[in-house]
Amino acid sequence: MPRVLIFAFGNPLRSDDRLAWRAADVLAAKYSVDEVEVVTLHQLGPELAESVSRSGCVIFVDAAAGPGRPGDVRITQLSATSASSDAPGFCHAVSPSHVLALAAQLYNVRPRAYSATLVGKNFDHGESLSAPVKAAIPELVVRIDELVQKFINNKGQEVARRKT
Amino acid sequence: MKQGNTIVIDPVTRIEGHSKITLHLNDEGRVEDARFHVTQFRGFEKLCEGRPFYEMPSLMARICGICPVSHLIASAKACDSLLAVRIPPTADKLRRIFGLAQVTQSHALSLFHLSSPDLLLGMDADPAKSNIFGVAEKHPELALDGIRLRQFGQKIIERLGGKRIHPAWIVPGGVSEPLTQANRDAILEAIPEAMAIAERTLEWFKSTIERFREEISTFGNFPTMFMGIVKKDNGLTFYDGKLRIVDASGHVVADDLDPTSYSEYIGEKVEPWSYLKSTYYKPKGFPEGVYRVGPLARLNVADRCGTPRADQELAEFHELQRTAVLSSFHYHHARLIEILYCIERLEQLLNDSEILSKHVRAVARPNALEGVGACEAPRGTLFHHYKIDEQGLIRWVNLVIATGHNNLAMNRSVLQVAKHFVQGKRLNPGMLNRVEAVIRCYDPCLSCSTHALGQMDLQIQLVDAGGEVLDEIKRE
Repeated sequence: MPRVLIFAFGNPLRSDDRLAWRAADVLAAKYSVDEVEVVTLHQLGPELAESVSRSGCVIFVDAAAGPGRPGDVRITQLSATSASSDAPGFCHAVSPSHVLALAAQLYNVRPRAYSATLVGKNFDHGESLSAPVKAAIPELVVRIDELVQKFINNKGQEVARRKT
Repeated sequence: MKQGNTIVIDPVTRIEGHSKITLHLNDEGRVEDARFHVTQFRGFEKLCEGRPFYEMPSLMARICGICPVSHLIASAKACDSLLAVRIPPTADKLRRIFGLAQVTQSHALSLFHLSSPDLLLGMDADPAKSNIFGVAEKHPELALDGIRLRQFGQKIIERLGGKRIHPAWIVPGGVSEPLTQANRDAILEAIPEAMAIAERTLEWFKSTIERFREEISTFGNFPTMFMGIVKKDNGLTFYDGKLRIVDASGHVVADDLDPTSYSEYIGEKVEPWSYLKSTYYKPKGFPEGVYRVGPLARLNVADRCGTPRADQELAEFHELQRTAVLSSFHYHHARLIEILYCIERLEQLLNDSEILSKHVRAVARPNALEGVGACEAPRGTLFHHYKIDEQGLIRWVNLVIATGHNNLAMNRSVLQVAKHFVQGKRLNPGMLNRVEAVIRCYDPCLSCSTHALGQMDLQIQLVDAGGEVLDEIKRE
């Protein structure tokens, strides 16, 4: 199982909601599948808790309606403990925090987790990205890559420390 | 608002997509009418116009994150029809495997993640706990079974299609790649665990059903017709066959209907209060031509499943009622029997001597300008109907989706539940949950028409004739 798991989700037929899929294409080409697995999804489901339970770091990539201007990138650290207190009534699609909460509840694991979002402009039916979103995809990829590299390097240092 | 008072439940939770329920009260404060609204427009038919026909399967698979494989199958079958080819026997079997895996994972999501809170924690449970997290807390073994069973189906889709959500493996004329022996063996290896989960969940469900006598008698418990695709011998199938319709007494109304001629006997009516069209059986007219589709309907129209364990359970299921099984509460039971059938049938197909054949695709140019594909999606019969021009570009598309077939019955079900459980001008979460729970029995997939962005709140309002809010319940 890869050490880093990236869930890129959204509806690819809803214009800017497909932005995570676009970022996923770039990210998947950057890493070895042994280290980083990139999964594209329409929406998050509760069963992803099992995949999360086998990863050291999880990054959820999604389009956001706000706050901020179209093209704004935001990275947020997530935790499982903050999620269970606002358990959803709508469970077909769950939030990143809820996937983490379920992983903690059922598998007793709490991987490092982040949300990486990019503010969209147009969510109508369509397959193309708006100009500000298209222009911001490289920044989103760079910010995600920083998280991945930081995690992999820290893990590498931990292993080296243990050996010495 | 029609007249008198109106209760609005907006949006409905734990179903796929956006919707709201309006309960119309008369002057005495009793429920007089109920409507299930789908409030977002589906524009996918228009999106397809001008695209090359061979793009359709992979494009249609992106309509929905819950049932992409069903759209893929119906779309590919419509394209087979445009090509006017007979696909290789192994491709036919591989598509069936794909479809069975899809039904298994989708039914698992519906039952374990969406409806199990109602069944395990009760209809009057605290709304804050009545969800998968509440189930995971009190019954972790069942929550884990749900995850494992859904993964079982998704892993098969992933192994065959290369990815779990929007695989483009099914193509016009067959499938793009044959099944490898390693993948066949890996799937077969997972079958005993999946079967054990299906068996113990079915036993658990049957042991709890007595607790829901009131719900069984009021959750869509009324006469309608039932429609589904069956095999030539009237056996259960999800991939191909003839359409059969039975009435509430279980008598066959229509048999041997050609699914590709659906427009001759199925009408679609647009209501001004919903973007979801209501279908009806044309010979009976609207709304008398109401029928239901999906697991309950399939088990009502099928004489047999064709696999040993599912056939035992089907016989027991048919004993529930001497007529057709009418209560929509039994959709849950039917779903579990279908899961059992899918796992048994998967094993049969994977052990077929031809299943590893490399000949899996027929190649041709378009030979017809119009094509229809039909299959049984997890929630019911699905039709894809395309027209192309001489260059093979899509000129017209019509999609008839299971949730549309069930629209009339869902509206009547909401009315029946509301009349029984919603009384007076005060509301409580138990009433609200039952109104929603009857919709969840049908497991409507409104994702085919919309995309849920963010967390959905739940609101129920009681408003008097002058527009003043008398009572309100809100979940966040």
